[in-house]
Formats: sequence, structure tokens, C-alpha cells
Amino acid sequence: MLRFFNFRVILDYMPLYMKCLWATIWLSGVSILGALIVGTIACAMRLSRSRSLTGIAGCYIESIRSTPLLAQIYFLYFGLPSLGIRISEEVTGVIALTLNSGAYMAEIIRAGILSIPQGQTEAAIATGLSYPMRMRYIVLPQAIGATIPPLLGQAIVLVKDSALLSLISIAELTRAGQIMISERFMPAEAFLTTAVLYLLIYYVLKWLSERWQQSLIFRERR
Amino acid sequence: MVRTVFKGLVAAVLALALASVGYAGTLDEIAQRGELRIACQTQGPPFSFVDKAGQRTGSSIELCKMMAEEMGVKVVFLDYDWDGLIPALLAKKADVLAADMTPTLKRAMKVAFSNPFMYTGSVVFMKNDSPLKTLEDCKKPGLNVAVLLGSTGETDAKNAFPKANLKSYKGGGPMLIDAVLKGHADFGVNDGSAVTGQLANFPPNSVKILPGMLTKSPLAFAVRYDSMDLLEWINLFFLHASLDGRMEKNLNYWVNTLDWKKDH
Repeated sequence: MLRFFNFRVILDYMPLYMKCLWATIWLSGVSILGALIVGTIACAMRLSRSRSLTGIAGCYIESIRSTPLLAQIYFLYFGLPSLGIRISEEVTGVIALTLNSGAYMAEIIRAGILSIPQGQTEAAIATGLSYPMRMRYIVLPQAIGATIPPLLGQAIVLVKDSALLSLISIAELTRAGQIMISERFMPAEAFLTTAVLYLLIYYVLKWLSERWQQSLIFRERR
Repeated sequence: MVRTVFKGLVAAVLALALASVGYAGTLDEIAQRGELRIACQTQGPPFSFVDKAGQRTGSSIELCKMMAEEMGVKVVFLDYDWDGLIPALLAKKADVLAADMTPTLKRAMKVAFSNPFMYTGSVVFMKNDSPLKTLEDCKKPGLNVAVLLGSTGETDAKNAFPKANLKSYKGGGPMLIDAVLKGHADFGVNDGSAVTGQLANFPPNSVKILPGMLTKSPLAFAVRYDSMDLLEWINLFFLHASLDGRMEKNLNYWVNTLDWKKDH
């Protein structure tokens, strides 16, 4: 099988792949951070006692989760200019990925918080802790540990979803493969290289999240 | 576990080896199968597209229908994205690649091209109210140019506008026109006949095409290099169709004018 595989061409295209890998990494990195922030805010709004805040957050989460990411990207890129708002490709990409993943992360964080037994909150109230203190010392430390694996899952989904940004002319990892195919017509080599690089990102993310989880456990023991 | 995986691999390799046992020839295979399989573009008017009535049609499509009729077989059209065309042909999903493809030397490293059935060229287009009026205006540094990834237009734009910033899109020519109209690019470069054909779907007079072409390039069908019999046949078909006027009629209706707009 290997003789059908042209490693020399892959090597030729490595500089392009590296440039595009970097684009995928920074676009996804910024979006993951953004999504965590947006997700936390949306989750806090959803859990708040104010009707209107809950309503707004619910609306955002539902509408994002019920529409395909591709439609959201196309809306931001081709739809918004009709309303007089034109944003660059990279910003469009980061906004789309952030808003999309933020909705899912909000639900993950909410599930984590709700998984903490009600009894603990009651006990905290009985001890006289205020709401922010309850959250800071009782609920969140436990909830974060439980949400790391699903959050990692969502971060990986985001990295893979960033492939869609190639459709609005952003040169990221999938586009590198497409460029190689359109110039050399080697789909096997091109997409395998792309896939291996995505795998690499996955392992780095996994390692980071394990480190994070470890440090949380360590801190709890201390 | 490891053994099961290994067994599976052996089975897969054997299956591949069996599948690649040779045929007499592609023409024989088509005749036996009773269908001619064509890889074509989903949206590439006026060469291949789905018309208002939901029918697949276009210049290349009609040529392929004629070919199948001459062969006495049914014709089957397989829709692909531009980038999927050559891989589909190489993966033997289709016998012929029928699109408005330029037979570049690079592409010909992978697929065998027929004689050209017509000549076309890349044109420059922009918003009607754009400050860019001539080719010289377009050569200013820092302008954004919309092109299709892997197209001849992309190469032509690189050569003609070395100081421009190229934005390559995927998903067909209409997306380029959209990108230009929405202001994501200052101008676009794409095949002339494709732009003319696609403009019909946009508001009239929203886009202007600069007169003159950047390059002149042939358009041809393609087959795999193991189907040279089929290639000979296609070349002969093009010759016959040119001699009896069917080719001219086809191109005049679909490509050189917008006559087809009335019916499709």
C-alpha cells in the first residue's frame, strides 16, 4: 500500500501545513477561551432568578443548538453585510465558533452545577454562607471537576468544526489539505496529513485537560 | 483483539487486490454495464447545473447525453464539488469527467484530457459602482481578489495581480460573485463563460465584467489514463459533433449567448 503514498509531496507541503496548523490552533484557542467565557455567562444567566435573564440565555442556547454551524457561519459572513455589518473572515470565524460552542458549554456547566446535591447547598445556607460564597467554596470546585471531561469533548468538537471556516476562505488545516488536492490531486496523502495534525491537537488538548484535572484534585487534597 | 484486527486487515487487502484485477477496456465495461457514468459539477452553469424545473442540464450535460446515445447506453450523472471531480474520476466512481475544466499540464499528471471542445478565458469582474475601472486599477497593491480554490482563475489572478491579496473560496462561482457584492473582495477572477452564466441569477447591472480576457485557455473532458480507449472515442465524438454542427449548436445555445435562460 505504501508505494501509493507519496511522502515527498507531503514534505513539500509541510510549510503550508504548518502555517495552516497555526491558524487552526489560534482560531480554536481564542474561540475555546471565548466559548468558556460566553458559556459561563450564559449559564449564570440561565440559573439566575431573573425571568428576563433566564429567557435571554434560553433563547441564545436554544437558537444556537437548533441550527447548523455552517448556516451560522454563512449568516455572519454573507448575511450580515446586507444589514450593513461587514467583518473580516478571521473575526467571523472566531465569533461563529465562540457563539456556537458557548451555547453547548453553558449547558455542560449548568449540568455540572445541578449535579451537586441540593443538600450541600442547604447545609451551606445553614452554616450562614452567602450565595457567592456558596458558589465559590462549595458548588463550583466540585462542579468544575465533573465538567472537565465534557468540556474537553466540546473543545475538541470546536477544533474539528473550525474546518468549516475553510468555506469562507480562511486558510486553516482542512484548507491546506484542499489546496494540496487541488494542486496535486492526492486526496489520500492530503487528508491523512490533515487528520494526523488534528489528532495531534487532540492529544495536546487531552493532556492539558488532564493536567488541569490533576491540579484540581491536588489542590483539594491539600 | 489484535488478531481480529489483523484478520480484518488481511481481508481488506485481499478484497482490494481482487477488485483491481484488470478489465478488457473501459468501453467494453461501459457497454456491459449499460451505463456511462459522468462526474459533473453540482452548480456550474452554463455547463452543468440544475434548472428551474429541477432538471440537470447544461452544455456538458447535453454533450454527455449525446455521447451515451451514440454509445447506446444510459447516462448517469454524479454530482461533485469542483475539488471532488478529479478524485471521483481517479477513484473509478465515474468514467468521464465532464466539466468546464482547463487541461493544465499539472492536472494532466493525474488524468488524461480529451481534445478541447471550446476555448475560454479568465475575466475580471467587480461591483458596478466599484472605483476600479481598468485592469491597471486592479493591479494596485493590497486589493482583495476572490477566486475559486484550485481553478485556472486562481493561477491567472496570481500571475496578473501579484500584489493583490488572494481569497480562495470553495462552493462554486456564485459564491465569488456574492463575496464581491458583499464587499469581502474588491474584485473577482473567474472563467468568462461561467461568470456570464451565473450573473443571470443576480440582480441586473449589479456586476460589471472588464472587457478582455486575462488568458485564453482550452476546455476539455477527462478520463483516467487506464481508459485510453474511451478517450479515443470521445475525441472521435467531438470530431463528429463539430463536423455535423451539433457542437456549434450546443455552444451557441449554452455558452456564447444567454439563449438557454429563456428555457431553463
